[in-house]
Amino acid sequence: MHPDSNLEILMVRYQQGDYAAAADLIERTGPQLHRFFLAQSQSRADAEDLLQETWLRIHRVRHTYRPGEPALPWFYAIARHVRVDHYRKSIWTAAGKQQLEAMTKEVAALPREFDHSDGLDMLLAPLSESQREVIEMMKVAGMSLEEVARATSSTVGSVKQKVHRAYKKLRVTMSAAGYRTEQSEELS
Amino acid sequence: MKDQEIDGVLKMPERTPHHLAPQILRRIGDSIKTSLRPVRPLPPGWVMTCGLVLVCAAISLMGAARAGFIGFEKMDPLERLLIFPALIFLIWMAGSEFVHAMIPGSLRRISSGALLGFGCAALLIVFAFLFRDYRIDHFFSAGIACLLTGFVHAIPASVLGWLLLRRGFAVNSVSAGLAAGTFGGLAGVVMLELHCPNFQVAHVLVWHIAVVPLSAAAGALVAWTRRFCETDGGFSSE
Repeated sequence: MHPDSNLEILMVRYQQGDYAAAADLIERTGPQLHRFFLAQSQSRADAEDLLQETWLRIHRVRHTYRPGEPALPWFYAIARHVRVDHYRKSIWTAAGKQQLEAMTKEVAALPREFDHSDGLDMLLAPLSESQREVIEMMKVAGMSLEEVARATSSTVGSVKQKVHRAYKKLRVTMSAAGYRTEQSEELS
Repeated sequence: MKDQEIDGVLKMPERTPHHLAPQILRRIGDSIKTSLRPVRPLPPGWVMTCGLVLVCAAISLMGAARAGFIGFEKMDPLERLLIFPALIFLIWMAGSEFVHAMIPGSLRRISSGALLGFGCAALLIVFAFLFRDYRIDHFFSAGIACLLTGFVHAIPASVLGWLLLRRGFAVNSVSAGLAAGTFGGLAGVVMLELHCPNFQVAHVLVWHIAVVPLSAAAGALVAWTRRFCETDGGFSSE
């Protein structure tokens, strides 16, 4: 049985107007989506705003979920759309793309105010935005290749290619940062 | 460094519990509570694709009926047997991808750009294989007339397709616009194949096929403009 099959059942009940199912869905997907937003936003408050906006959007388009289809990629597809929209607005409001890129780099380089300060962000910093997104969905959210393809509206082949390229970059970065030694020490 | 070692490092946050204030989740729940009503889910993808194919058939047949089925009458059986099934297959494929683009979390088998490329390449191969008239009489005057006729039929096909899928939600509107335009462009090509009696290779390969990328570009441009206005509008209203 699919580990997220409960989400699919809850989605159908949510479409039927069941508030308990909606509340359960919010409780189950909220932290995951919040982490997804935190990975690329400047602050916790920003991530919380995006989470609320995403849920409002989910609520508005809940009829587009088709029973029997995986629910998690559907949530992530909408979350991703909200995030892209948010960054597009930021670009136009924050005096051009260059400033935003500089800001993103700064954010990636600085220690975050939030709690998952495990060096993952630093580690993923050299990856392109799309590679980072794919890695986050697969490794942090635990989605399969097909689910990531669904969430990013791309093909499985394209996701595979992004993961492959991301791993190539990560191998270089992690070797340079001495991760191998730490891992080996842990193992020994 | 092995992939498993990278996996181990990347999966660290998955093992760490993520804390989110319960009042935020409660607030989200409260915000949707008042408007929570039963909704009718979208029909299965194949139903919507069938609807799109019917739209395409209606537009191209109506256009050809008005202008005359001269091209279809001039074609030999082999040409009819290869051209129209190929077009139906491409229309089904474009319609299906258009449907996928309008449903969040759908599995795309081909990207909208690849769909456009594949559609044009398939038509090039079929037309180049079938037609043998290598003259180039009235290349521009006849060609531009065909391009415009095809495009004029592509617009209503795309618009009606968009209306048919209006309950959907495009997470990538430019990609959806490109798919809608490709779909409409193919409807334009069907109309031209039914109507146009000019079987010169250069004419068919250049001007008939050009309807597809032209329509796709128009679809993507409209979607991009709409998205730009919506995002900009959101900013202006803040």
